[in-house]
Amino acid sequence: MNKIYEDLSSRFTLSDYHQQRDNLAFVTVEKAQLVSAITYMRDYLKFTHLVLMTSVDWLEQGKFQLTYLLHNYELHVNFGLKVMLDRDNAVMDTIHHLWGHARVYQRELHEMFGIDFPGSPGVNEPMILESWQGPPPMRRDFDTKKYSEETFDHRPRQHVEPEDYLRQNLYPED
Amino acid sequence: MNLKDVLSPLYVWKRAFEKPYTIKTLKEPRPGADRYRGFHQNDLDKCIGCGSCAEICQNVSIDMIPVSETKEGDSGLRPKIDYGRCCWCALCVDICPSGSLTMSNAYTWVEEGLDKDVRETFCFTPGVDKKPWDNEEKGYRRLEGYELSILERVKMEELAPAERVNSFIEMVKGFSKEQAKKEADRCIECGICTATCPGHMDIPGYIRAIREDDIEAGIKILYATNPLPGVCGRICTRRCEEVCSLSLRGEAVSIRWLKRYLTDSVEAEKYRDLLHDEVVPSGKKVAIIGAGPGGLSAAYYLLRMGHSVEIFEQNEAAGGMLRYGIPEYRLPYGSLDKDIDFIISLGAKVHLNTKVGRDVNFDDIYKDFDAIFAGIGLSESFKIGVEGEDLPNVTSGLNILKLVTLGQDPQLGDDVVVIGGGNVAMDAARTARHLGAKAKVLYRRRLEDMPADPVEVREAIEEDVEFITQGIPLKIEQAPDGKLDLIWGKAEMVDDGSGKRPSPVLIEGSREVMRVSKVIAAIGQGAEYGWLEGETTKQVKLGKWKIEADRWGRTDDQKIYIGGDMFNKTADAISAIADGHRSARSIDSYLAGEEYPKDRF
Amino acid sequence: MNDKYPPIVDGKSVYDLDSQKYLKMWQGPQHPGVTGNMSLELDISGDQIIKCNTHVGYLHRGFEKLMERRRYINCFPIVCRICVPEPDTNEYLFAAATEELLGVEIPERAKWLRTLDLELSRLASFFMWIGGQSGAFGSGTVAQWSIAYRDYVLDLFEELTGARIYHMYMIPGGVRGGLPEGWIQHAEKVLDGASKLLDEIYYVTFHNSVFKSRAKGLGIITPDLIDRFGVVGPNVRGSGIARDLRKDSPYLVYDQLDFNIETETAGDTYARTLVRWKEMHQSISLIRQIIMLMPKSGPLYTTLPNVLHLKVPAGETYVKAESTRGEYGYYMVSDGSEFPRKVTVRGPSYSHGMALLEHLAVGVNIADTHGLMISLHTYPPEIER
Repeated sequence: MNKIYEDLSSRFTLSDYHQQRDNLAFVTVEKAQLVSAITYMRDYLKFTHLVLMTSVDWLEQGKFQLTYLLHNYELHVNFGLKVMLDRDNAVMDTIHHLWGHARVYQRELHEMFGIDFPGSPGVNEPMILESWQGPPPMRRDFDTKKYSEETFDHRPRQHVEPEDYLRQNLYPED
Repeated sequence: MNLKDVLSPLYVWKRAFEKPYTIKTLKEPRPGADRYRGFHQNDLDKCIGCGSCAEICQNVSIDMIPVSETKEGDSGLRPKIDYGRCCWCALCVDICPSGSLTMSNAYTWVEEGLDKDVRETFCFTPGVDKKPWDNEEKGYRRLEGYELSILERVKMEELAPAERVNSFIEMVKGFSKEQAKKEADRCIECGICTATCPGHMDIPGYIRAIREDDIEAGIKILYATNPLPGVCGRICTRRCEEVCSLSLRGEAVSIRWLKRYLTDSVEAEKYRDLLHDEVVPSGKKVAIIGAGPGGLSAAYYLLRMGHSVEIFEQNEAAGGMLRYGIPEYRLPYGSLDKDIDFIISLGAKVHLNTKVGRDVNFDDIYKDFDAIFAGIGLSESFKIGVEGEDLPNVTSGLNILKLVTLGQDPQLGDDVVVIGGGNVAMDAARTARHLGAKAKVLYRRRLEDMPADPVEVREAIEEDVEFITQGIPLKIEQAPDGKLDLIWGKAEMVDDGSGKRPSPVLIEGSREVMRVSKVIAAIGQGAEYGWLEGETTKQVKLGKWKIEADRWGRTDDQKIYIGGDMFNKTADAISAIADGHRSARSIDSYLAGEEYPKDRF
Repeated sequence: MNDKYPPIVDGKSVYDLDSQKYLKMWQGPQHPGVTGNMSLELDISGDQIIKCNTHVGYLHRGFEKLMERRRYINCFPIVCRICVPEPDTNEYLFAAATEELLGVEIPERAKWLRTLDLELSRLASFFMWIGGQSGAFGSGTVAQWSIAYRDYVLDLFEELTGARIYHMYMIPGGVRGGLPEGWIQHAEKVLDGASKLLDEIYYVTFHNSVFKSRAKGLGIITPDLIDRFGVVGPNVRGSGIARDLRKDSPYLVYDQLDFNIETETAGDTYARTLVRWKEMHQSISLIRQIIMLMPKSGPLYTTLPNVLHLKVPAGETYVKAESTRGEYGYYMVSDGSEFPRKVTVRGPSYSHGMALLEHLAVGVNIADTHGLMISLHTYPPEIER
């Protein structure tokens, strides 16, 4: 693990290295270097398997965290490369030329988070949310509860909180 | 393609001659497995309506709704389950602190008439609404080896018995931050404790503050309803813990020690900044007679409301029973002073060594002040009512405790007997042990009938206090060697069938003699009304036992309020504090000229 | 190249649907060959597919979003619903990820019981799959046998966990119950029957000229596709590469069990079917081993802090397990609050069912489309979550 990290850090600007387990580590890469870093890992470090691509919305910091999780079948280790994107201008370089299924991940990320991957085939096509009108729904500022309350009818609740109920009945004036 | 590949699929015809394994569910319904998670059952005898099931339900399918039949320590609510939402995860069964909620193995429910209210369709309150599966034995119960609730409390470190009898050092050491957070984590925030606490303290609120390590918020919550939290954190009778829903199957949350942890975490100097409040002076004056917990509580809230307060206390220090009735190893004077000093620092004027009716006239107070709150307490010890009670070495438990507080030698000798089974008896006996004397407790009933806090009884036993139960004192005689002979008789417990607790009856002819150096009576105390004399007290009515007053402590004279042991039935510190708080609010309204609802009970 | 294919210009096939030579047709979303709902938009020439577009979204329930506003304990009942035919992998991975971030070690007996549960669910899931696979090639008989037999496995689940489909058994911290009385005897009976049924299925499937002629050579996964499309699980093992997370990165008690990685070399549908059939036998053997070796007593659950206000320390982790379709993973990010910041579910069907299927479907006869689709063993619910 450390060897991989040292090799990578000699070539790329890395930060926040964190080894979670013997076979799992995460590191943050500069946005501009991601594609070259991930290509280097695939072609020279034998991280040939793209496990998943996902995004974490750090709304408070105004950032999207993109995680690319890679796997090395010889060492049986996972390595996660992370990139921080500005939430306001969420554009990332595509990696669909490296892995066929990256195209699908990028399409989903575009749809769910509104992160654009220019050049990725079909990235603008709706995948799951055909005819969806609202903002990208996986963004944290999209409130699913509010949406469902506005959109759907609910069976009204009759719930009473025990503490309030006791207060009303036993000591309303205190 | 070979012939085998063509022929071998014909093998399937073999099955045509086998017995079909179809289950005819309509004719013979198939019951669910023993652990099947089907429709709910609720044992109403156990359910306390704490709402934990509704809290953990991720589908919001459980509503707590009021029901008519309730019992003691019960919120009066029962879970109603909406099967349009339920996902049968059974977390409600797992979290149920009373163990009342279970699931049957029934999984079919045919509902007729779907034109009824949508809120009633496929919803029912288990136990209340009768269903065919109510008595089904099979179904999901919490299984052995798996327990979601944390039933054991964090152990409180205390001094070993042998260590503590040698001194008056506080025996309970208090929680560390980790211990307190861990203990606070156990709370499930049902809030039943809040209703039970005489002061209605927001217990889940300050426990949450501890869990989130927000001591300041916690202190603010404490002072909202209790200006003596450091005291209550040590000696509270903790009715809250008795009803804690975790206590049904495990140990209650250590609410008292958590309160103590909060107050111990903040230095006295910081209280002022923490509880800083802009106060607009009202220009009104309130007199408080007696600086016990009730009076101090009233003083605190009246000061906060902008009134000026003067306290009249007959002893040489404030605190009342907290100081003179509770031994130092339970409530160190430093802790008591921390709370009292803070209240006084807010601007209360205290007249020590001033007894109303002796040093100052009630009429004068009545004229000088806009309102009066009296919390005199119960200071007159009851007599045992036997011959020889007036002998020199017969005294009362309160007297012993007070002498020890004043730093005087109570001259116990080497062998004492305490008569009684209440907290004062325990305190007196243990104080005697701490002073080096041997101590016996003589009680009329059985050990389990003792009104004293069971923890105190246990601690007394640990400290080698000898308990003689079912013993009735008959006579006290002067022994030739200067000691006393206490003559007592054995009693048997007689149940008169009236449903009351059995009463002790002396066994005919039983006579035992005990030679001791001191006989200490601790069988209860009564009020004293020497202060209530003068022209202005005429309106105040005395009932059979105590002064008549409404739930706000207001007597028939609008200006005079009472509270504390002399007023409430429970006679403990937290009730007195609650009385003070309640009266303070009433006094505030009275002084502002508001009409007040006339309710009496 | 076949002249049925349209001309290729700039790397894209160009064809005019109005020419009447090509046809666009939809397969799904309601198709019995799919365990879940997804549809294929097929452009066909004659009866050959020249372009395939997968459409998902019929089953989107937004689990990842739901989890962001639920306490960890409240995520536990919903994760199993992510994949309907094989819910246990989800339960295990969610629990494992939470336990890792909390730093909790579960009791030994709970590990064995979890492994048992996972293997049982593998068996149930494969029974479902083999029914679909045979059905897709016209052998409805096998489908009826296997789907019916799956219910016997579900009976075992019902007795062990209290539910048939969504077991909700592996709670963070351990499991919710030990083996009930008489369960082992019942399980032995079911396993014996399963073993016998599998042999019958072998006889009528792998010695079936129809099956052979249709499955052989269909949807060959060549080694170069494997890394390109992130192919995992039996799909890889059908192409002769021995990769299995149970061996490569052992979790729970798999390192104490005796089994080999089953492989076939051809890489086509027939080979994949055979690998899965072998793995069903392997599962039966593993369940027997677990029953024999597992501790009979001991705690089942490590008491967590109060689950009603459980806060998980900030951090991130990825845990994975070998499901019937291959590597299943949970990527969990915690910000130290009561709710998970983000849980990403990596279902193997994601790459198999979308990118790989679109690639493999080209040139396939339309009658074989769902045979191909099921041979990749896709469960649409885990694609869109």
